[in-house]
Amino acid sequence: MRIAALRPLAERHMDAVVDSFYELLLGHPDTRAFFPDEVTVGRVKRLQRSYFLGLFAGRCDLAYAQDRLRVGATHERIGMPPKWYIGAFRKYLSLLLERIVAEIPDRVEAMAAFDSLHKLVAFDTSLAIDAYIAANLDSLGRQQAAIRELSTPVIRVHDRVLLLPLVGAIDSHRAQQVMETVLVRVIEDKARALILDIAGVPVVDTRVADHLLKTTAAVRLVGADTILTGVSAQVARTIIQLGVDISSMVTRARLSEGIEHALKLIGREIRPIGDKP
Amino acid sequence: MTVAVVAREELPIRSEEDLVRVRRLARALAQRGGFDAFASAALMTAASEMARNTWQHGGGGLAAIEEVRDGRRAGVRMTFADRGPGIPDLERVLRGGYSTASSLGLGMSGTRRLVDEFAIDTRPGEGTTIVVTKWTRR
Amino acid sequence: MTAIPILRLGNVLLAAVHVDLDDSVAERFQEDLLGRIEKTGAHGLLIDISGLDVVDTYVARVLADTGKMARLMGARTVLVGMRPEVAATLVRMGFGVEGIETALDADEGLAILTGASAR
Ligand SMILES: Nc1ncnc2c1ncn2[C@@H]1O[C@H](COP(=O)(O)OP(=O)(O)OP(=O)(O)O)[C@@H](O)[C@H]1O
Ligand SMILES: [Mg+2]
Repeated sequence: MRIAALRPLAERHMDAVVDSFYELLLGHPDTRAFFPDEVTVGRVKRLQRSYFLGLFAGRCDLAYAQDRLRVGATHERIGMPPKWYIGAFRKYLSLLLERIVAEIPDRVEAMAAFDSLHKLVAFDTSLAIDAYIAANLDSLGRQQAAIRELSTPVIRVHDRVLLLPLVGAIDSHRAQQVMETVLVRVIEDKARALILDIAGVPVVDTRVADHLLKTTAAVRLVGADTILTGVSAQVARTIIQLGVDISSMVTRARLSEGIEHALKLIGREIRPIGDKP
Repeated sequence: MTVAVVAREELPIRSEEDLVRVRRLARALAQRGGFDAFASAALMTAASEMARNTWQHGGGGLAAIEEVRDGRRAGVRMTFADRGPGIPDLERVLRGGYSTASSLGLGMSGTRRLVDEFAIDTRPGEGTTIVVTKWTRR
Repeated sequence: MTAIPILRLGNVLLAAVHVDLDDSVAERFQEDLLGRIEKTGAHGLLIDISGLDVVDTYVARVLADTGKMARLMGARTVLVGMRPEVAATLVRMGFGVEGIETALDADEGLAILTGASAR
């Protein structure tokens, strides 16, 4: 049975279906919160009616799909979890089933009508879920970008000396981010030295050590030196036991020593006041 | 999600100048796809390495460079195909540092690290086809 | 074929690469540089690659080899102006940076080669 043939039936029952649909939503405290006032309820009911009739347009093209995707994205934005509109789709179906059974006396025909409707609603559900997931990934991506920025706080400790205190675990994703941020800052600040303090990195395994080496190498290629500080006894042991080649790394146990070394590279030093040069 | 091809361009790889052409096309598509400087350098380098292999080891062939979308992201997909000798020792080549041309042997293994997707079909005596894809980041 | 101009400043040869380096341009550049060292007896070589937005392993190797060859002829080479994205790409590919001397920009590179900056 073609879905468009059901349109007269849909038009006749539209108001009643939409009304009982919202009775359900407004009756539940969780969903009730999404409809703060009568104006909102009026507006969404209007939207719902055209959405409902849209189901019976008998047209399943790109515009239709895009329209449905928009619906999913909107629900993500207002923070309505998908379980609610999956529930809503189900409610739609049962409301319509009652009416189809009442209006189409032939059982086989009624089943066929319900079947095509079910297909369409299932398609709608999957589109809405797709859009929900995509929108969710989007906002997740934005949050991750913000976290990344916060987790790579490059500090200018002196003219031409930068410091990056690394805190937390380093996976390959973050390692790449660190490398890129550091390289751009070295160029921007015309830095001569970068101090990479790893005191706050809980685990240094071969992969992390390899990332650190690669960052050092890349910084060298753009013309600056890296000094690795905050190397604990345990990290030193790990690095050596893992057989990582550290011949090209300048390392220091403490940050203060790293800063001293960096200053020497730019021809400065820290001296007690009153000391003769 | 499915990948849609927005635009496609083919370039023969018959000479050294063709390598520059492949690189330029990759640069143009990276710009159009909104790649940042790091991603587009990676894409251009991958294009350069693969095109050079096609020319140098595969005896020349064809590059197809496509602008693709997967619903959320823009990307560039590059296919390099030749009817050369194929790569009998593929595993070693992919591990890196192995070259039959007394070179560094970094082209293939390095390219694999620069792109998001890397697929290779190589048959001894028949030829080699390599498909790489790089997506925009978010 | 595009040739890359090489300037001389006292004891130092300077070259800035701006063209899209294809393989034969890169090789000819290497030849030209070595030829000029031979002719002038220059002690330093400064190669500015800030104009390159892509350096594949082939070009990187030609540049690195040029430095080693120059050293055999008694000239010290400093590579300057490598862009962040080029550096990151080379390192990600596993390109080794041993034996390549670098500086941020031409000023700094020149300071190293003329002994104004101790490195
Ligand atoms: N299209 C190809 N057809 C046949 N053999 C190939 C092809 N591409 C790569 N190979 C083989 O794989 C080896 C490794 O390739 P890879 O690009 O990693 O290194 P390379 O080209 O030898 O050196 P370079 O580091 O300069 O790229 C080559 O030496 C060659 O034997
Ligand atoms: Mg190669």
